[in-house]
Amino acid sequence: MSAPLTVRKSRVESTVALRVRKVVKSYPGVKALRSVNFELATGEVHGLVGANGAGKSTLIKMLSGADTPDSGEIEVHGAPMNFDNPRAQRANGIAAIYQELTIIPQMTALSNAFLGAPKSRLGLTDRSAMEAAFREVARGLGVAIPPWVKAGTLSVANQQMLEIMRAILADHDVIIMDEPTAPLGPFERARLYELIGRLKASGASIIFISHDLDEVLSLCDRVSVMREGQLIATRRAADSSKDGLVELMLGDVKISHGDKRTARAAAGVLQVDGLRVSGRVEGVSFTLGRGEILGIAGLVGAGRTEVLRALAGAEPTSSGVMALDGVPCAWPRSIRDSIARGIVLAPEDRKHQGLVLSRPGVANFVMADLRSVAWGPLMRRGYQRSVASALARRLGFNPARLDIAAVNLSGGNQQKIVLGKWLHRSPRVLLLDEPTRGIDLGAKQEIYQTIRALSDQGMSVILVSSDLEEVVENADRVLVMARGRQVGLLGAQQASVERILKIIFDVERRPAPKEAAA
Amino acid sequence: MIEAALAPVDERGGFRQALPTLVRVYGIVATLVILVAVVTIGNHAFLSSHNIFNMLSQWSPAGIMAVGMTFVILTGGFDLSIASGYSLCAVTAAYVGQHHAPAIAFLAAIVVGLLYGVANGLLVAVVRINPFITTVGSGFILNGIALVATENAAFLVDAPDFAILGAGRWQGVPYSGMLLIVFLLLFGFVLARTVYGEAIYAVGGNYEASRLSGIRVRLVVASTYVLLGGCVGVAGAIAASQLSSAQANLDPGIIFDVLTIVVVGGTSLSGGSGAMWRTAVGLGIIATISNGFVLLDISPYYQSIIKGAIIVAALALDTGLTRLVRAK
Repeated sequence: MSAPLTVRKSRVESTVALRVRKVVKSYPGVKALRSVNFELATGEVHGLVGANGAGKSTLIKMLSGADTPDSGEIEVHGAPMNFDNPRAQRANGIAAIYQELTIIPQMTALSNAFLGAPKSRLGLTDRSAMEAAFREVARGLGVAIPPWVKAGTLSVANQQMLEIMRAILADHDVIIMDEPTAPLGPFERARLYELIGRLKASGASIIFISHDLDEVLSLCDRVSVMREGQLIATRRAADSSKDGLVELMLGDVKISHGDKRTARAAAGVLQVDGLRVSGRVEGVSFTLGRGEILGIAGLVGAGRTEVLRALAGAEPTSSGVMALDGVPCAWPRSIRDSIARGIVLAPEDRKHQGLVLSRPGVANFVMADLRSVAWGPLMRRGYQRSVASALARRLGFNPARLDIAAVNLSGGNQQKIVLGKWLHRSPRVLLLDEPTRGIDLGAKQEIYQTIRALSDQGMSVILVSSDLEEVVENADRVLVMARGRQVGLLGAQQASVERILKIIFDVERRPAPKEAAA
Repeated sequence: MIEAALAPVDERGGFRQALPTLVRVYGIVATLVILVAVVTIGNHAFLSSHNIFNMLSQWSPAGIMAVGMTFVILTGGFDLSIASGYSLCAVTAAYVGQHHAPAIAFLAAIVVGLLYGVANGLLVAVVRINPFITTVGSGFILNGIALVATENAAFLVDAPDFAILGAGRWQGVPYSGMLLIVFLLLFGFVLARTVYGEAIYAVGGNYEASRLSGIRVRLVVASTYVLLGGCVGVAGAIAASQLSSAQANLDPGIIFDVLTIVVVGGTSLSGGSGAMWRTAVGLGIIATISNGFVLLDISPYYQSIIKGAIIVAALALDTGLTRLVRAK
């Protein structure tokens, strides 16, 4: 192992890093936190779970100083927390790492790591001292990020590591991670787990938020469950089970685990041969049956998203041979081409590619087909509303929330809008890129129920997800990708998480592919 | 009146959701009401029909350009070339008006406006140059063309008919003012109630999501510059007609009036949020301030200070209240 890491030697030892007492927070019309008590022990990894809207984000905002409680107390190492301003809050020693990273892409990794508090001498930045500290922390965490590389060129996983390094370099010993593993693939996750282990060993206290309960149970010492603005229970992870946590999270709502689908033989709707995206994807071929759900599995960067985008007409450098219902047709050149053929994409990045966040659901739901709710050039507002309401009800989205700007909706509701927007066009092929990322369990179930219902009605679906279990459970067949190539196509009976990982491993472990090997 | 007719449909919903919007709406409308009250108390002549008609006529060119600018800004764009375009269109109207019927002269101005709008639109939406730089550049070119064509002399028009658009009145109501109100209502309706308007909000709110939804994003963006060009043509024609003359540097400062009208109304410079009724309120505020100075006999030295302070205060009130209410 590498050099041990020490976090904040100066701090007086205390057994409780953070103590939250009777914290209440209301926003106009919502009671977000109703008298929450919470305790984070020094040197523990504490899981925080709950459905979307349970109050996790609000609690974190209080702890990180982003917002102030209406009443109640928060103590950091026995001293009351300082809420004055971001500068004063540095002294609290709490760092929050959100899903939306705060890395500045144009700056170097080094500058990012010291953002806001560069080391200086005589008023000039002291680069060599910063570089030395950077390298030391990187070594301690087992991270290999060159200090002078532009942060924007780093992978999401490395950007996240960089943000954790920033927290340590700023001498923070309480680190809050909000769904850090959501954007990561299996290998990157394993690296993060290892890093969390090292942080813990060095004396840091960590709050770990995730929707993946297996991960929470294996990684954390204790787990707290939140529901409807209250902290329902804190349990030792060793004494808890996944089902037990789910029960606590959902209250009396029951969820059903989906049965594995039975493969169906059906006529081919979409035939793709030799799909290629210049420099990124090569040689992907498959036939998609009517009503079939085809999963695409692979690591982040394996080319899954590019395949979907190419089919949706959003990759100008893509090529291949396509046939619809057995009739050959030109490769789609534009998004409108694909939409006209009934091939539509619900993209990976809801916020930037899927929704107009400033606009309400009633506008977003019909956005992909404005003509359908218009009379000539005139919008039929009443009809638009009834169309949006019908879509909302079909997807389990409360129609009373149709007028709320999308930015204020939960991830699950946002995803329902993105789905609804395309269902409105009754597509033949629905391309779903990470449809359940960052969504709570209840909404996940609803989205999968919807997808299955659609497939039962004859709609064909291509599903990309980093959650392999999800892919295996929901897909009829699984196409496995690695390094931009198709490396396997498994039927429902053959597909298992282990099998898929083994195929990917075998390819990824090989030395860089030679072009002739195709 | 105008506000009610042009209020966009989506600003409905539960009270909690509507609250930030209500505060924003009343913040800016309240500013207008207070200003009108202050000026009226100082000088009762302010609300006389004579004064109001004069204001309408005086603010018609800037107001009509603000209508087009609202479209451009809603898509997240910007157009700094309008002052030059305005002069060039006025010069065109005056030049053609010297030898031809006024209608042909005005039409010529509009055609020139549309053409340069097409050029701006192509550069911004298709070549995808930053709109700020594009329109600074095209502004220089347009100004240069006007200078070359006029040799920096004023074109005078003798034909009495030529003044009808700018100075003509029906029952005391100036035609130019009617045109302004027609533009506000018509294009307010287009924004709030048509497929095109809906697409403008979508594209301004999220370009990429709109593109992936199959909206013709480039066409939508480009079209707003063409529409603004047309508005600039109409404004130029009105100005030439009002003055019965035109020159290459007619009113370089008018760009600031136009931008201020749109932004003070509360249409966001980042695109996707705003409305035509806001532009109407913004126009009311700016016109009231300017006219109020004259009526209240305030020294010109203080005018700039007060005008600037009111503009900044209106915006601070708007954003401050929004943040306060939306705190989350």
